[in-house]
Amino acid sequence: MPELLDSTRAALILLVSLDPDLWEIIGVSFRVSLTAMALAIPPALLIALALARLAFPGRWLLISLANTLMAVPTVVVGLMLFMLLSRSGPLGEWRLLFTQPAMVIGQWLLAIPLLIAMLHAALQGVDQRAWETARLHGAGRVAALWRLLGEARFGVMAAIVASFGRIIAEVGSAVMVGGNIEHFTRNITTAIALETLKGEYAQGIALGLVLLVLALILNLMLGILRGRGQQTLSS
Amino acid sequence: MTKESMLEINRLSHGFSATPLWTIDHLQWSGQDMVHLLGDNGSGKTTLLRILAGLDAPRQGSVHWHIEKQWQLPPCPAQVIYLHQMPYMFDTSVFDNLRLAARWHGLGRRDSQMRVGRMLHWCGLEQQGRQRARSLSGGERLRLALARAWLLQPRVLLLDEPTANLDAQAIADVDSLVADLVRAGCAVILSAHHASVLTERCQRRWQLCDGLLWESTTNAPFVAERLLR
Repeated sequence: MPELLDSTRAALILLVSLDPDLWEIIGVSFRVSLTAMALAIPPALLIALALARLAFPGRWLLISLANTLMAVPTVVVGLMLFMLLSRSGPLGEWRLLFTQPAMVIGQWLLAIPLLIAMLHAALQGVDQRAWETARLHGAGRVAALWRLLGEARFGVMAAIVASFGRIIAEVGSAVMVGGNIEHFTRNITTAIALETLKGEYAQGIALGLVLLVLALILNLMLGILRGRGQQTLSS
Repeated sequence: MTKESMLEINRLSHGFSATPLWTIDHLQWSGQDMVHLLGDNGSGKTTLLRILAGLDAPRQGSVHWHIEKQWQLPPCPAQVIYLHQMPYMFDTSVFDNLRLAARWHGLGRRDSQMRVGRMLHWCGLEQQGRQRARSLSGGERLRLALARAWLLQPRVLLLDEPTANLDAQAIADVDSLVADLVRAGCAVILSAHHASVLTERCQRRWQLCDGLLWESTTNAPFVAERLLR
């Protein structure tokens, strides 16, 4: 118990003293996850809009696929990507293994199904009359789709927040394709795993606290969004 | 197709099962007379209005609108506007509901603001401009929906049960707005179950009965009398 208290005190000192190593690791996490989100949101939005608005063969298969892929463990995505990117793998020539781009690809793969499934649910929930009203009042297809996004904005934001929460907290893919290389691919979750194995708890706890605070902020945001969403439905 | 008519329907039929819900062999409408569309529950009034608006495709036959000197197939955005029985309010303010329509219509910022202001005044919702549109009462929503449509100055308005669930005062308010629209040259078809000041304003009746559309004119002197009063 005293060891835990000492480690926590040391962790707080590391955080408030702006320890460069610690904040570099936090920076890697945010850079990788935000890049993955930025690259995942546009295609996920397009696919979710198509799934919500267009009737085409295989539509339900795609929706089921997105729902299934949401549950794939992060290490499995990491393993698949590792095999693809390793020297002898089909994409070995890209020389991406153990780089931040590889981590971005891994997190992109984890974010995409969750984003598609949640965005689709949000857009599917928009009243059909919204589309009809916009179109009959002269909105072009793009303008009407934009309006649909506006109508589903709380669900859309919830999807983005939830996906970001999933990928910044994942460790399986990051450690397998990132390799946890200091000053390069070491991020919050891989560092926690490493520091704990080494018996150095202070940095691990400090990084854990960052994740906890982030989780708290994301959940508060989700709660607020959900609250606003309910208000919209009941009014 | 005759030049004078605004709407031509030929061999139109629709339904959700093997037997068609209704069949309309041929129908012309000049757009001069306001039309009251009647029929029992499930007779297909909404379906007919939605097909006229181009929101649904008919199983068979054709609908043509004569708009801006040419024959067009529905939908005719901003020209033929259908208002749902419960008009959809975008999840924004009353003001923004109007501004969205103005933007889609391609109005510039100044024109848009001017016309939106005029429409708010017209429908009597000036005080509620900043209020969320979804917090309006049923009557206010309908007035806003009429203003949002009229902002585009459409040639035809299709009103699906506009007076359902409204009290007498709300119906009277809506009636005076519809009267303005008709005076300004907008052609109106409205479906309604119950007689009201609004249906009394109609000079023509289309009744869906036994899968057919029966057309008649209403009691013209009576309507005139109501108007004069």
